[in-house]
Amino acid sequence: MATIIKVKGLTKRYGRLTALKGLDLTVEEGAIFGFVGPNGAGKTTTMRILATLLRPTAGEAWVAGHSVFKERRDVRRAIGYMPDFFGVYGDMKVWEYLDFFAACYEIPVETRRRLIGDLLELVDLAHRRDDYVDALSRGMKQRLCLARSLAHDPQVLILDEPASGLDPRARVEIRELLRELQAMGKTIFVSSHILSEIGEICTHVGIIEAGELVALGTLDEMRQLVRAQRVVKIGLLERVDEAQAWLATWPDVMQIEPVVDNGGGDLQITFAGDDESLARLLSQMVGAGFPVLLFREETGDLEDVFMRLTKGVVS
Amino acid sequence: MRARWQSTLDHPMLRLELRRIRRVRWWPGRRFFLFYPVVLGATLGCGAIVALSAGLSNLSVPVRFLEPGGIQMAALVTGVPVICLVGTATTLLSVALPWIAPALTSATIARERELGTLDLLRTTLLTERSIVLGKLGGCLARLWPGILALALLTPFQLVGTSLLGGYSSTIGMVALGAKQPWLWLLLATVAGWLKPWGDLVLNAAIGLFVSVLARASSVAVAVTYGAVIVTRVGLWSLEMLLMSVLVIPAMINPMQQLDGQIGLTELMAGLIPLATVLLEITGTVLLVWAAIWWLKRT
Repeated sequence: MATIIKVKGLTKRYGRLTALKGLDLTVEEGAIFGFVGPNGAGKTTTMRILATLLRPTAGEAWVAGHSVFKERRDVRRAIGYMPDFFGVYGDMKVWEYLDFFAACYEIPVETRRRLIGDLLELVDLAHRRDDYVDALSRGMKQRLCLARSLAHDPQVLILDEPASGLDPRARVEIRELLRELQAMGKTIFVSSHILSEIGEICTHVGIIEAGELVALGTLDEMRQLVRAQRVVKIGLLERVDEAQAWLATWPDVMQIEPVVDNGGGDLQITFAGDDESLARLLSQMVGAGFPVLLFREETGDLEDVFMRLTKGVVS
Repeated sequence: MRARWQSTLDHPMLRLELRRIRRVRWWPGRRFFLFYPVVLGATLGCGAIVALSAGLSNLSVPVRFLEPGGIQMAALVTGVPVICLVGTATTLLSVALPWIAPALTSATIARERELGTLDLLRTTLLTERSIVLGKLGGCLARLWPGILALALLTPFQLVGTSLLGGYSSTIGMVALGAKQPWLWLLLATVAGWLKPWGDLVLNAAIGLFVSVLARASSVAVAVTYGAVIVTRVGLWSLEMLLMSVLVIPAMINPMQQLDGQIGLTELMAGLIPLATVLLEITGTVLLVWAAIWWLKRT
């Protein structure tokens, strides 16, 4: 896959404050790149630089093969940018809003009508076409904004916290929409301060903290980075002590901790083996006649990944 | 050429602003009429003062130079009231428009920035130039009733005042021995014609420039009016200075006039207001250009 966003040594200083410290980043075509970091880590700064709105103190960046600083117009043609605030004109109707931005993207009048219909259909707002933008809910405004950023059919979407401040349903809708857009062949560069919010849909994740990239890779790579050993929870109806002794004989079982919070017989084991040996463990355990009620791997929660990689430093 | 004209008409920024003008409700609501006595009183007061001064200055001419009776007297009788009326309206408009325009322009781009929509506009293919020019055009278009009225009234006023002997200072100049008062009158008429427009565009451009720099629209409005007042006082002082150096000494002492034929003093007296207007227009162009440059830079 070709590289579509490339960032090299990007540094931005606001007076004495350094927002970005030599950021290096590449995003491949067709990816959903989740850009995650705590508030104030430099996500918005990076995105504004990529959207040609801000000049960095040092460094270079390319989007779709064009330099963000020298070929701004080409970059603008290639990106759809959605800032972390709505940026809507309340006193316009939904279709007028899209019509205006389509005009700004030099889309001829004849094709605009159809385009607006298609865009509204895509973001599921066709029934609100003639309403004023002010009358829309937060989630709808966010979707309208997304429709606006798609008006010129850009290759890359740069979305700054598209899900912030939305209710769970609207959040799911935005996620679905992003999946759909990826299926349409768009590269999506999306930021969030909550990894689990976008983690599921991202193909790649970059974690930024205090202006520096602390981790970069696919979500699975991230998980492996954090979790060298897997934790398995085993629930038993009875014979808990016996099972504990039995498990201790396994070489892959590093540690056994009884979980006593609910008074029942739960064990939490730290396991060093692979999937096959874990399956063998289960089948032999059942074979040995233990009444296994629950056998579940505690996947490192995405929040854990995030918390372990970041230190809570804010520049 | 045609394509160019079409692209001007299809200017998205300008169309957005024009669409907004159409949305403005012309009926201001019932509560507004509580202010009517105040508005009416202020208008009548200003009108009375302007009419009185204009009428007096117009009257002083025929009394001295025209034979009583006949055509001139008839012109005087019908002309003076008309000129007073037209003059009042023109004067009010030519003062009001240049002082309203900066309120509109100073809020535009700063407001977009506050709303966060400026970033959106800048990531589209709209150029900085078309954003700035579209905003300027939109604001001036919003004043269209006043601009139209002023455009229609000024010729009447100027022609009227010129025909009837016009400005009392002409008389003063003639009395002081100026040989070509018509030269002064011509230049001063052109300058007087252009003056409100020069004021209007310069003030609008000041507002626009401040708007590009400012972060908050409320600050932009305040700074703009400060800048407009300073500019006005500056231009007025410059004009007065030039007048007092180049024109007034010659008027006080006619012997100092450089020649009798061309009437250099009259030329100067006419050229100075004209030069001020040209200065205003140059300033406008520079400010708009600076606003575009600043928006590009950030």
